[in-house]
Amino acid sequence: MAKHETPLLDELEKGPWPSFVTDIKRQAEKSPQCWDILGQLELSFKERITHWKHGGIVGVFGYGGGIVGRYSDVPKRFPGVEHFHTIRLAQPASKYYSTKHLRDICGLWEKYGSGMTNMHGSTGDIIMLGCRTEALEPFFYELTHNFQQDLGGSGSNLRTPANCLGQSRCEWACYDTEEACHHLTMHYQDEIHRPAFPYKFKFKFSGCPNDCVAAIARSDVAVIGTWRDNIRIDQAAVKEYIAGNIPSNGGAHAGRDWGKFDIQKEVIDLCPTECMWMEGGELKIDDSECTRCMHCLNVMPRALRPGADQGATICCGAKAPILDGAQFATLIVPFMKVSADNEFEELIEFIEKVWDWWMEVGKNRERVGETMQRIGLPTFIKVMDLEPIPQHVKEPRSNPYVFWSEDEVEGGWSRDVDEFRARHAA
Amino acid sequence: MALSNEELKAAILKKAETAPKPQLYIKDFYACDPDSKPRVIKNAANDLVKEGKLMFWSSGSTTMYAMKDRIKNEEGESGVN
Ligand code: HEM
Ligand code: HEM
Ligand code: SF4
Ligand code: SF4
Repeated sequence: MAKHETPLLDELEKGPWPSFVTDIKRQAEKSPQCWDILGQLELSFKERITHWKHGGIVGVFGYGGGIVGRYSDVPKRFPGVEHFHTIRLAQPASKYYSTKHLRDICGLWEKYGSGMTNMHGSTGDIIMLGCRTEALEPFFYELTHNFQQDLGGSGSNLRTPANCLGQSRCEWACYDTEEACHHLTMHYQDEIHRPAFPYKFKFKFSGCPNDCVAAIARSDVAVIGTWRDNIRIDQAAVKEYIAGNIPSNGGAHAGRDWGKFDIQKEVIDLCPTECMWMEGGELKIDDSECTRCMHCLNVMPRALRPGADQGATICCGAKAPILDGAQFATLIVPFMKVSADNEFEELIEFIEKVWDWWMEVGKNRERVGETMQRIGLPTFIKVMDLEPIPQHVKEPRSNPYVFWSEDEVEGGWSRDVDEFRARHAA
Repeated sequence: MALSNEELKAAILKKAETAPKPQLYIKDFYACDPDSKPRVIKNAANDLVKEGKLMFWSSGSTTMYAMKDRIKNEEGESGVN
């Protein structure tokens, strides 16, 4: 039986879609503190202001992350949400669980918290919503000792790394995203659990440019699978697609009749770099122009595969709009071998170079993408010991400006200009 | 010459004790020893937390350091995630 009148929230149950209000009401039958979430939210809707306070010294001993403090500023009216802390649990690589493990985790959360979860949060972690300060340590003890699971990242820490399911299920994966994600998670335990940086830092791993974990939009270091050689073409399968014997897009659009497959219209004309054509009944690709957009591979997976010389592209500096606007990551390294054979040495060296620079020059609460923007890409490229390449420039053909440094110019900045002008009028 | 780990820890504690605001960013400690790399200073500050001399204070999005007895209570305040 509802504890508070919630006429405004009840409106949100009327549509045909699932409603969080219905979900919370259902959970409140088991965990009565959930009624107070609804009560406080109704008050916020009415008054158009939040009644949550954040922050504080909540945490478990030795950890400086994984728990986000939340308190009500109207605890007398809503005692069930006086403390309502969020706990982040690190998800396993690719989010593979047994159903038993998920049931166990949910059971544990009903024992110590509200039972409400967010599976998974945009960070990647499992989000456990709502518990009191005194429940944190016993919950953490059981989580780690009985279920071998750990807290995720929060605050100015390395956040829980995330990856696409990669080679475990996907034929497009150009490196082992699970191994990379797991290895770096173990390697950087200290950075995940204890604050290390001016602000949050994320890396995410996608096996190919389809970028199923949206690494390019969400991570400070995005590791996105790619290939250096040519797209592998099976010309016999191309003919089968043209003849309509293999459904395009793996049959994904089979729910409606789109007419006969037209390779010109559906593939060649949609290639963003216009680098494909038919010649003598065969599909041709000028691979030097291909930007790995994945469109043609997605449409004809049985005819086209990524090349065999595989690795990853590294992009830096994505972030959501907190201070300035949102921004995508910028290409920094077009191709890097990413391999467990050398324990991801090259990638680790890259990441630590970024950290050393950002920790030194980054301002408090500044993401590395903002630091890059403030100081400029030329400096960042230099700090990373890389040579500038046309791909670092947004429009290299219309923006040819080069900034020379003194040691690159004959005579430096102090050469005798009058002497030069005497020979060569301005 | 960079400070030794013990000297660095003492300098960090002094800063945490005397700074006008109780919560400090990790960057606020960099000035304790300009010759130490930021990651060395970070490790020294985290050691002090393990020893119970400093504690983490979190807004959810940012984590700061504070001396235990300079923070009144564990109530939150407003901020962003
Ligand atoms: C052998 C002689 C020359 C060669 C090989 C040459 C070559 C070029 C090239 C390659 C460009 C760049 C084109 C582009 O960005 O698409 C250019 C631009 C230009 N050239 Fe020449 N050029 C020559 C002589 C001259 C002379 C004698 C003048 C003027 C008196 C001139 C004026 C310009 C101007 C105004 C631009 C455009 C610059 C800009 O976009 O800022 N060029 N030239
Ligand atoms: C009243 C006379 C003129 C006006 C109002 C004028 C205006 C402009 C403007 C608005 C630009 C574009 C600047 C930019 O986008 O950064 C430009 C570029 C340019 N103008 Fe003029 N201009 C005049 C005369 C001339 C003359 C007489 C010459 C050559 C003898 C000239 C050569 C150029 C060149 C080479 C550029 C390209 C510069 C660059 O891209 O860096 N202009 N002008
Ligand atoms: S990002 Fe690429 S490799 Fe990873 S799951 Fe998606 S399509 Fe497959
Ligand atoms: S991957 Fe994209 S850019 Fe490359 S050939 Fe196919 S459609 Fe063109």
